[in-house]
Amino acid sequence: MMKQPSECSSALVRSGNRQFCSALLAGCLCFAVFGFGLSLTSVIAADGDIPAGLDKISYPKDNPPDEAKIHLGKQLYFDGRLSEDNKVSCASCHDPAKGWSNGDRFATGVGGQVGGRSAPTVINTAYQMFQFWDGRAGSLEEQALGPIQNPIEMNLTLEQVVAKLNKIPGYREQFQKVFGTDVTSDGIAKAIAAYERTVLSGNAPYDQFKAGDESALSPAAQRGMKLFTGKAHCTACHAGANLTDNAFHNVGIGMDRDDFDQGRAAISKLGGDTGSFKTPTIREIARTAPYMHDGSLKTLEDVVEHYNKGGIANTYLDEEIYELKLTDQEKADLVTFLKEGLSSKDYPMHKPPKLPE
Amino acid sequence: MRLEQQSMILSIFASAVAMMALLSSGAIDQVAAAEPEVVAKNLDNPTGVAVSPKTGHVFVASHAGVFRYDPASGNVTPEIVGYPTDVYGKGPMYNIGPLGVAFLGDDHLVVGDGSRVDLEELVRVYKISDTPPDSPQKETDAVATLGPFPYNESTTKGEGNFYGVTVSDSAIYVTCNGDDTKGWVAKAQIVDGKPGKLELAIATKEATGVDAPVPITMSPNGNLVVVGQMGEINIPGDSLLTFYNAKSGKMRRNAKLGLNDVTGLAYAPESNRLYATDFSWLDTSKGALYRITKVNSEEPKTRKVCDLDKPSAIAFDADGNLYIAVMGTAKEGSDEAPGQLLKINAGDL
Repeated sequence: MMKQPSECSSALVRSGNRQFCSALLAGCLCFAVFGFGLSLTSVIAADGDIPAGLDKISYPKDNPPDEAKIHLGKQLYFDGRLSEDNKVSCASCHDPAKGWSNGDRFATGVGGQVGGRSAPTVINTAYQMFQFWDGRAGSLEEQALGPIQNPIEMNLTLEQVVAKLNKIPGYREQFQKVFGTDVTSDGIAKAIAAYERTVLSGNAPYDQFKAGDESALSPAAQRGMKLFTGKAHCTACHAGANLTDNAFHNVGIGMDRDDFDQGRAAISKLGGDTGSFKTPTIREIARTAPYMHDGSLKTLEDVVEHYNKGGIANTYLDEEIYELKLTDQEKADLVTFLKEGLSSKDYPMHKPPKLPE
Repeated sequence: MRLEQQSMILSIFASAVAMMALLSSGAIDQVAAAEPEVVAKNLDNPTGVAVSPKTGHVFVASHAGVFRYDPASGNVTPEIVGYPTDVYGKGPMYNIGPLGVAFLGDDHLVVGDGSRVDLEELVRVYKISDTPPDSPQKETDAVATLGPFPYNESTTKGEGNFYGVTVSDSAIYVTCNGDDTKGWVAKAQIVDGKPGKLELAIATKEATGVDAPVPITMSPNGNLVVVGQMGEINIPGDSLLTFYNAKSGKMRRNAKLGLNDVTGLAYAPESNRLYATDFSWLDTSKGALYRITKVNSEEPKTRKVCDLDKPSAIAFDADGNLYIAVMGTAKEGSDEAPGQLLKINAGDL
């Protein structure tokens, strides 16, 4: 049974407002680094390792990356033991094989409980100013502990998850090595966030074309790119290196429902944010279906059609959403660009690591 | 509120009145002791300020039209009226009319419009007399009209919301906030003192990846166009300070300002210090005036001068006194428009 969408921030959980924490399996981001056979150096996003087309990463002063921390974070990300039933890990909803999302309309947590928003991709979250669809977390560190505590996601208190992991010698040893302490919730958050910042996708045909390689995009994709920055009006929101303005917009999704999701307004308390959600990156978008905050659009063709008609009219509809009057050929070209131009041959296909015992 | 009513209640404060509740401060280098003087109040969403180089009169664009403030007499009078109304924002919402103003020579005022739908909006130039007119000019009394920008290859949505205006020796520059894929700065060459065709010249969104060119000014030597990129109103700290070659339009420098929503930019005469206002849409208690230091570095710094309630524009007079338009916050139950024109004396900056 699908629960009502709500704002299940970790703060709400801590304050005991679990009744507000229904839906939202959307933000479950955790991590763990590759198998032991992989050189850890290759997954650290030192400036020189950042894929072409992406910006420098700004690391928190209190959580600089290092190999051991990222390695630990990857293990935590892929470890179902961070959930009540030992089955739900961050990767359950943010699966590298499914565009770092889950391929379903909504996310599914412990006991098969289903949320009310889709699972956003983890790709390039290093560049996101806010986490979750409604931006209620201001950092990856802040975000990482939310899903663990969400009753319909992983459903553990921080005390429970810390106690659980401290019984695993392999974790305790690594936490001592990385943080100089036994397992702590702060350490869990920092390690997971450090790993998340290594999940990067750039160097797409779009980047190569922009860098001067005219053969990087097919003629149809080139036409689509021109539409992307012009008539189709996509760059009004999907701009910059990560193809997102990091802001919140009402794009007319789900607004024909009486109980539509309030989105960002529930956090900001600004009426103008009603029905607004964070602009996601659209890098690797061909892998992250279904689309939109509620997973209501199955294909990119559906997405283009939604924007072409100007979304669902509502009081708070963003002024950049209007009828585009794209022809069938233009719609096809735009989809070709999204699929072909934004899919990198260097896709971060991480595999689950060996977990500590 | 009708113009007649507003004109009647526009009042002048001869004495210095401490302005603005000093609200919360953010991560600011320093809070100076400057206390703005309220020189005009009951303005309805003022968004633009310009000072006549000839008379020193201050012209303020607001929802109700353009008003003139005479510092010598303290009088405030309507100057240009008759604009329609548009609305900015979806909550909070602001009624807007003419937006940006700047002087072209000694006696012509360039006014950027925000009172219509984007692709119908115009930039108009008005002849300004040395003394307030017996009756205000109508919007259509302009001696020159530039624009509009309908759909075309450069702007598939059409341009409009001409928030900022600046004038160099050779051109008028206007920031546009209609097409968020481009964020154009429009430019009209000045030939024999008259503006030529207004053309879309600098695509600031494409150059910076950030929305909304809002305040604009010329560098002291006139070689650079200086643009404040406001960024998203629901994102904190994303405003940019960007410099473009005035002739080529090519970006020279682009740096984060650390402000939430930059709305005003102006260089002080003689000192050439650069000042900026932050509207701070998300948290208007953080609205303020800043002096920008290390302007020419990759990481300019800001130093708070004073807190302000929704500052929207700034302009210096020839003596270095700073005029600030603030949209203000209405008192509960009050019908009075909360906008004000403030002044900070040169010696207090």
